[in-house]
Amino acid sequence: MSRTILEVTDLHKDYSQRRGLMSMLTGQGRVIPAVDGVSFYLRENETVGLVGESGCGKTTIGRTVLRLTDPSSGRIVFDGRDITKMSRAELRPLRREMQMIFQDLDAGLNPEMRVRDILREALTVHERPGDAEIASRIRELLEQVNLKDSKLANFPSELSGGEKRRVGIARVLAVRPRLIVADEPTSALDISIQAQVVNLLRDLQKNLGLTYLFISHDLPVVELVSQKVAVMYLGRIVEMGLAERIAHQPRHPYTGILWSSLADKQNTEVSRRVRNVTVERERRAWGVFDFEQPASGCRFAPRCPLYKEKGRPAICTDAASEPQLRDVGHGHVVACHFA
Amino acid sequence: MDALLLAIENLRTYFYSRAKRAFIRSVDGVSLDVARGETLGIVGESGSGKSVTALSAAGLVTAGPGVIGGRIELASNGARRNLLDGLEKYARVTERDGRVMAVEKDERGWRKHSETLMTGVRGKEIAMIFQNPRSALNPYSTIGKQLVETIRLHTNFKGEREAKERAIHWLDRVRIDSPALRFDNFPFGMSGGMCQRAMIAMALSAEPSLLIADEPTTGLDATIQSRIVDLLAELKAETGITTLLISHDISVIQRLSDRIAVMYGGTVVETGRAAEVLAPQAPARHPYTAALLASIPSAETIRRKSYLQAIEGEVLDTIDVPRGCRFYGRCNRVTEAIRDNCAGLEPPLGEVAPGHKVRCWLYPAAGKA
Repeated sequence: MSRTILEVTDLHKDYSQRRGLMSMLTGQGRVIPAVDGVSFYLRENETVGLVGESGCGKTTIGRTVLRLTDPSSGRIVFDGRDITKMSRAELRPLRREMQMIFQDLDAGLNPEMRVRDILREALTVHERPGDAEIASRIRELLEQVNLKDSKLANFPSELSGGEKRRVGIARVLAVRPRLIVADEPTSALDISIQAQVVNLLRDLQKNLGLTYLFISHDLPVVELVSQKVAVMYLGRIVEMGLAERIAHQPRHPYTGILWSSLADKQNTEVSRRVRNVTVERERRAWGVFDFEQPASGCRFAPRCPLYKEKGRPAICTDAASEPQLRDVGHGHVVACHFA
Repeated sequence: MDALLLAIENLRTYFYSRAKRAFIRSVDGVSLDVARGETLGIVGESGSGKSVTALSAAGLVTAGPGVIGGRIELASNGARRNLLDGLEKYARVTERDGRVMAVEKDERGWRKHSETLMTGVRGKEIAMIFQNPRSALNPYSTIGKQLVETIRLHTNFKGEREAKERAIHWLDRVRIDSPALRFDNFPFGMSGGMCQRAMIAMALSAEPSLLIADEPTTGLDATIQSRIVDLLAELKAETGITTLLISHDISVIQRLSDRIAVMYGGTVVETGRAAEVLAPQAPARHPYTAALLASIPSAETIRRKSYLQAIEGEVLDTIDVPRGCRFYGRCNRVTEAIRDNCAGLEPPLGEVAPGHKVRCWLYPAAGKA
């Protein structure tokens, strides 16, 4: 079994929100727990998919584990080293090993620089290679991301979406990372181009032994690329396990709804129960993700089909017994009293 | 009564790229029909011209030169009106070898005349809903006020009180809970899904004959998307409203459309009944449609963890349109027998089965048409 490259324990990230006259006067803001006690690990050369609706904290996790933003509490261990409290100087040599692919196609592509210079800059951030080596590394990178060398003289604005994505990936590969957090790497692309990029990312993983934390709301793609999938809801992981189990034998009601809403759009058979529930849920949850007035107990209870079906059991809304992740076998963990 | 509500014929909408000193041929000879009560789904990638087609129909293209030719006929009050009627005298198009070389357009004259033609049509006969509902709603006004304004302007409910009642009726019809309370909400207090529901209420409250839904689910969360699709399906069943639905999401198109038009590079490459165009084993199919369907992970692909069938190359840039088939450079089904045609001649949109048309040299029927 391959070794663990990233281990995250009880990660919290709070954002404070200042709104209204009172908080302005008192200087105190409300605290919004974007990530609220998340633990997981990544094994080398493996892909873990992170799914959930927008605002659930997926991207915040991605940014926090790379220390692009500082955690409020918890522990992040990268390759055996605790990076939670490392200073910028201590982190610097590690930065090259952990990289991020951003959702925004233009992220990291200086509009004033040609593709050649963008790649050259990436190659010389951590090292001082000679010109000949730079040239050969650039050629190698182009080959890896399948980009024509005629594009080297182009500015980012002259590239198509797919080409920008490839340059962005080449830029990340330039520092020879081991762990890549891919935050919605395909969502800004056209369907036909998405497939190319998904294939490319899988090839790179195979050839370079990369480890991915793959953040996406595109469930079929997540299922395809990931060995394990973690489902997030309002800052917490509510279910995690092998990709095929999460997709086909979900134990948490929320996971079921996520997957069925996909099937639903395609008009395949879906249970009436799930349908009614989501309508009900949307009606109740006016702001949908209301961090400001979190339900006490299980945070999913207000939207939960099981909660209703079971006659609104008190345990679900008991503030003292928020469901914790527990093992249901086959490395599958679920945070639900009834799973 | 005329069975066709909307007939678009040979529509051309061009823009000008200053950087490249060339025309962007966004919509390049598109013909589409929408029958009363049906939903026509236009599917395509970015730059295929699907949104510009819809904007042209609603008279909302503002950049130059914009619409330069074609007919857009809308049946209203028992008569057919060409929404581009008489506009040709404001634009002079110089063509050589079937390519537009220059356009001289009196933009002010065109706009003025177009606005006259669109008065009483846009908003009333043709209503639109857009992607990103929050930005389409007025942030300074409650959704109730915005609805009342639409209703008083476009329907016979002219009084303040009756218009308010009507507005609440529409909020209820789009399944917004406690509509009387929501009436006084501002858009910022509402979730994206709720804003889209309010937008739909607003569009339908004018009782239009045609609803144009341009990417109505894009940008919403997965679970909310499927609820909006559900709502559109229910409203379609209840009101029978004629809809022109535009989406890049085949699953949305599949769920809601009676007929489908697949667009690529500013042209329609395939059109037909939804069931036929998207059938798993279609007897005739445009290679682009086939590739589009194949690039979505299927259950089989996921199970075997195999590669996705990607379409090679990039989406066609409509500035530099090739002479032959627009999909030729990315097509994997070119055979030696048809290669010369594919490379040199644009295939016509030919009928391969009743009501099913494909723009491809693979199908002899298409060649004859």
